[in-house]
Amino acid sequence: MLSRSAQGVYWMGRYLTRAQYLSRLLELHVQALVDRSVEEIHFGWRRIYRTMKRFPPAGESWLPEADEFALADSFTLADDLTFERSNPDSVWSSLERGRENARQMRHCISAEMWSCLNLAYLRMRDLETVDIWRTPEAFYGQTCNEIHNFVGLADATMYRSSAWRFMRLGRAIERVQLAVSLILAQTELGRRMKRRTLGWAGMLRMHHASEAYSRLYGIEIRPSRVLDLLASDPLLPASLLSSVRAAAAELDAIATGPDAEADAAARRLAGRAGAMILYDWPEARDREELLRRVDRCTRDLHGTVLDAFVDYGIQDAPLR
Amino acid sequence: MFVAQGVPREHCRALCEALRSAPREELETIQERVTRSFSQEGITFTVHGGDEAEERIIPVDCVPRLLTLAEWSELEAGLVQRISALNLFLADVYGDCRIVRDGVIPIDVVLDCPQYRPEMRGVSVPNNAWVAVCGTDIVRTHEGFMVLEDNLRVPSGVSYMIANRKAVKAGLRRLFRTCRVQEVEHYGRLLRQTLTELAPRGRLDPSLALLTPGTWNSAFYEHMFLAQEIGAELVEGQDLLVNDGFVYMRTTAGLRRVDVIYRRVDDDFLDPLVFRRDSLLGVPGLLNAYKRGNVTLANAPGTGVADDKSVYAYVPDMVRYYLAEEPLLKNVDTRLCRRPEDLEYTLDNLEHLVVKRVGESGGHGMLVGPHSTPEERDEFRESLRAAPAEYISQPTLALSRSPCLVDDRAEPRHVDLRPFVLTGAQSRIVPGAFCRVALRRGSLVVNSSQGGGGKDLWVVDL
Repeated sequence: MLSRSAQGVYWMGRYLTRAQYLSRLLELHVQALVDRSVEEIHFGWRRIYRTMKRFPPAGESWLPEADEFALADSFTLADDLTFERSNPDSVWSSLERGRENARQMRHCISAEMWSCLNLAYLRMRDLETVDIWRTPEAFYGQTCNEIHNFVGLADATMYRSSAWRFMRLGRAIERVQLAVSLILAQTELGRRMKRRTLGWAGMLRMHHASEAYSRLYGIEIRPSRVLDLLASDPLLPASLLSSVRAAAAELDAIATGPDAEADAAARRLAGRAGAMILYDWPEARDREELLRRVDRCTRDLHGTVLDAFVDYGIQDAPLR
Repeated sequence: MFVAQGVPREHCRALCEALRSAPREELETIQERVTRSFSQEGITFTVHGGDEAEERIIPVDCVPRLLTLAEWSELEAGLVQRISALNLFLADVYGDCRIVRDGVIPIDVVLDCPQYRPEMRGVSVPNNAWVAVCGTDIVRTHEGFMVLEDNLRVPSGVSYMIANRKAVKAGLRRLFRTCRVQEVEHYGRLLRQTLTELAPRGRLDPSLALLTPGTWNSAFYEHMFLAQEIGAELVEGQDLLVNDGFVYMRTTAGLRRVDVIYRRVDDDFLDPLVFRRDSLLGVPGLLNAYKRGNVTLANAPGTGVADDKSVYAYVPDMVRYYLAEEPLLKNVDTRLCRRPEDLEYTLDNLEHLVVKRVGESGGHGMLVGPHSTPEERDEFRESLRAAPAEYISQPTLALSRSPCLVDDRAEPRHVDLRPFVLTGAQSRIVPGAFCRVALRRGSLVVNSSQGGGGKDLWVVDL
């Protein structure tokens, strides 16, 4: 397929995954606003911001003391993360970019996928935070579902060409990076909290892993067990291992790129990230450091994939 | 549509009956559904204002315009005849120039045309199909069908023909069936066949690409739509390169040869080594590869010389000259202001005439005399005197009107139609057209940038 098209569907996959991931984070967090302590609410906001590698609009000194302030501030923070045009990773910005990539690559995706995504875009286009603030969880839930539907429609209707592979590769790489970022945010922030279990149940819900955890370990939440499940369980679709394996599988299914060196490097990086989680994780003394290595590996993978298939030098490229 | 006040023509009876009997709410619902379907499917064109670009929807009227199969056949024959003559003209004007030497067309009309490309002299084109895709603007007056303009460069609108059909058909299912409407959905297949027929010699399974200026082009939706319809890669200039006289595109598996480029980029921007040097939309070396016969460009560069507003006046003469036939389709009577007597006539009758600048399109640079103010006429008078060769004038036509749904009731609006003629080994036309409508009451300007919209054209077998 055309290199630029591959790049377009790859980024479409990444942006939509980002929009969905952040919507899910916000959905769970705005539910917590109703009945959780101020400490927990603040912890949640900090975790989201750290995951997205962003500072809140008022900088680091934004933490108010009283509940009222927390609620008022929540509106501002939700707005910053949801509709803020200047925030490149806000739900809106990610959805808009995903949709723009889809618009440019409409010939690579199915009509059903485009229609689904365009409707989601049109629904959100004229909204502001004030419009969703009565039931924000419903808005975020719907946004997640719309992207779920898009992915489901891709599964059901998209031709299994390279475009399909590159879209899924983008989704998998984005999932790994966001999940690593969230887990690191949780562990780093959690260390400073008195309640060591704060936020871990939310981590399970975020990754649709609550039922699996209960089945495996019962109802007592232990951070180390949650970590194991989220990082290395091969049966959990949202685990790091599953996402890394998905990236490697998509790469395997794509024909060798014109830059043979970069192509081989990309396949090695995907394999290495999987091996780190599969083999190093159980014995790792410093798991945060291991997660950072996985993160670096997937970032390198991103760059190498683009080198191999999109930005390759034409001098040695095969002519067909 | 009507033969007399309130008496519909035979083939329009079912439509009239449906419009009369349908409750207002029902028509309103159908119209709403048609408009919504465009919005939901993202069938848009891009409008630029400052740094911002906005996606807009062409307003679509849900009431179709009807032609009988016999009327269509008459039109089709005229269009095929006309494109045959125009293709012969292009081969001639970039070849021996017999038509000029025989005094049918003055040399300065050809050479003064900015779309004449000396770089194309001596070039031969597969099947002599210089114009593979032509979108001819047709109007209907009491004298019958008339050609308003031949669009021979990168005519657009065909995607709206198909989108209008899909939306209107869904809203008026029963009427559609009753009227036995001819299908247009196979346009993509015919276009692919046409382009394949124009492939360089020996390329039996040619690789096709549609060259678009990019996503910010106002017709990007159409480029994407057509690429999908014909199974071509949608490429931008940056995706292509020329190596050793062959054109390649960058794919994830390496460089793949391109045989036929359906280009939707203007001549000026096609190849910075030959045309505009500052073009970022084109491909350096493309014209060289084309001249060597290693790639086909559809339409060929330089076709604009044949749809120039001054050259237009000579198309009936071309038909007589090349085909030894009488033109089946009339031209609008056109005066070339480069001729002193035509200039004088134009200046004396400005309030009755439509004056057009030859280099402009899209309804710009135009004076519609009867709708103009004295100040506008004075301004045009000055421009005409300063550069008469840049203007033509035509009588204001009594364009046919078609009912449109305005404020929940049917009101007449002026319409034209743009059928698309495809020419590869032979000419082919789907029985339909992008039908444009001047939605403002009394307006004669159908361009979408000036308040125009679209409607579906039904060729009915009744």
